[in-house]
Amino acid sequence: MKFWGIRFVSIIIAIVACLALQAFEGGRSDYEQRIIVLIGLYITLAVSLNLINGITGQFSIGHAAFYQVGAYLTGFLTVTYFAKQPIHNLGAWLILMMVVGALGAAIAGLIVGLPSLRLRGDYLAIVTLGFGEIIRIIVQNQRILGGSYGMNVAPKYKSIALVWMLAIFCIAVCRNLLKTAHGLPFLAVREDEVASSAMGVNVTRVKVTAFLLGSAFAGAAGALLAHFEGFITPTTFGMDVSFIILTMVVLGGTGSITGSVVAAALLSYLPEYLRGLKGPDGQALQIAGYNVVAWLIAVGVAVALIRWAINNYHGPKAKKYGLYVGAFLVGFVVRYVTSFGLKFIPGLAAKLIPVDQVRMLIFAVALIVIMLLRPQGIFAHHEFSWSWVRRLFTRRPVPQTAVSA
Amino acid sequence: MSLLELERATIRFGGLVAVDEVSFKLQKGDLFGLIGPNGAGKTTCFNLITGVYKPTSGSIKFRGSEIQGTPPNKIARLGICRTFQNIRLFPALSVLENVVVGGYLRHHTTLASALAYLPSALKETRRLKEEAMGYLKILDLQDVPNARSADLPYGMQRRLEIARAMATKPELLLLDEPAAGMNPLEKQDLMETVRRIRDQQGITILVIEHDMRFVMNLCERIVVLDHGEEIAQGAPEQIRNDPKVISAYLGEPV
Repeated sequence: MKFWGIRFVSIIIAIVACLALQAFEGGRSDYEQRIIVLIGLYITLAVSLNLINGITGQFSIGHAAFYQVGAYLTGFLTVTYFAKQPIHNLGAWLILMMVVGALGAAIAGLIVGLPSLRLRGDYLAIVTLGFGEIIRIIVQNQRILGGSYGMNVAPKYKSIALVWMLAIFCIAVCRNLLKTAHGLPFLAVREDEVASSAMGVNVTRVKVTAFLLGSAFAGAAGALLAHFEGFITPTTFGMDVSFIILTMVVLGGTGSITGSVVAAALLSYLPEYLRGLKGPDGQALQIAGYNVVAWLIAVGVAVALIRWAINNYHGPKAKKYGLYVGAFLVGFVVRYVTSFGLKFIPGLAAKLIPVDQVRMLIFAVALIVIMLLRPQGIFAHHEFSWSWVRRLFTRRPVPQTAVSA
Repeated sequence: MSLLELERATIRFGGLVAVDEVSFKLQKGDLFGLIGPNGAGKTTCFNLITGVYKPTSGSIKFRGSEIQGTPPNKIARLGICRTFQNIRLFPALSVLENVVVGGYLRHHTTLASALAYLPSALKETRRLKEEAMGYLKILDLQDVPNARSADLPYGMQRRLEIARAMATKPELLLLDEPAAGMNPLEKQDLMETVRRIRDQQGITILVIEHDMRFVMNLCERIVVLDHGEEIAQGAPEQIRNDPKVISAYLGEPV
């Protein structure tokens, strides 16, 4: 019964957290709400693409197409239905639309998945890319869907909670898959198709399942986007969106759910964060730069102090925790002292170009730097776990089982 | 009824006849050797049996029913499993996970139960892992279940491949050059292990091997291929003295 207890409590916590997010952030400006929603949607998209790309190893770069199928299908249904009679319970309707969007996108996933079963690597990438463009162009040429002008989805329904519930659900499903033996055939297909089929793995079925699941989540995300924005155009789902999602997966570390989540949050927030840093003389950017440096130094100092405390202090527990808190405080002090000190470096800011013009340049440079420094992605193939957090602070990582030749 | 029966199995790749009317029979419990010089068609023979290729003509019968043209994953389900000449493990997966993939075809829960993280799926996962540990013990790999399989030394990787194949609970195990790259001591160990697998688990074994001493000591019956054709068949002593075999391996006296 302990199992179901934990299960029940964690589901409740997740739902409450999403509702709380909605309650706290619902009052904010449309712009800020939109950022929060987009982060949630991109997490769903990145994690679902990671299932296809990272876990099953099928290089798909047309994920925006499934997103689009979900958005347009449900948008169209809502508009058509609403023209006939009003929708009273919009929340329930939206949940229904998520399911419909997921099913629609899953069918699209099946259509693209089936012929690509015989293709590998680059060839599959080209097919999925082409598929994405085909969907976009078909939609663009349908007058009933608004063509290039876009489609008004009315009534709108803004639900931050549903977006984040979907994100958490998507993460949970992928994590569950990897935690049970059922995830292994997916990984095996990624590693070696010939060997997996020799071990009795139905490679076709595994690939189709991955495509179905991944595209279904993207479709549900699309449904939420359509009803949140109230207006969708084919360009919302262009090739660049597919590539951004792919970048998230690669940047986070192909195959790592944690990596996809972190990278999705980072990459969807960063451009907006940089957008906020306007200023005629680039001073805001300078301050932001100082803040980043200051944070890095502060975190470094705090981690070093905590490590030192764990490794060298063996006194009573209460005092030990006191030391940890102290280390955090020192970190904070260091952070403010550093940024204060850095502000005295003169003249740099005035020479910089206004940030809003170089926003995407900074974004691109940041990506290149990360990929150069860590080509395997931020998390490589690792996942978040509590033992990993513990290891971060102890002196030496627990050695992997030693292999003697 | 013989367990496996190849009858005039032939495969052509364009003009090249890789396997030409090869016939042999395996009885249950056999320890059978398939030898021949390089390019004789031994691995192609394995690929025919495991469904990677479909024979151009001839038939392959397993437990009396024809299996040619059946896809590899179904063949594995029928009870034929193999190892590869150039080791094909799942490099990024751990040793234990590699073996669990082998056992996966005998799982009893649905994908949905796994996605929902139901206790039944967890129980099944635990069961598969325990079974896998059992196979690791048989191949003497129980000390390194969590190592990445790509990090294992060569000999261990070969043994892991056998453990993975055994996890599918085959009736017939095909070993493609299991001793390649091993030192004499490791070869001796392997020979004992293979024999033990046959004796204790009752698995019929078909071995491809280059090392004549290994084959002669291990196998009870041997088929010799050369240029895709079967040139001799029989007990090791018979093969050792067969003039055709000697000339295939050493060349004709000038």
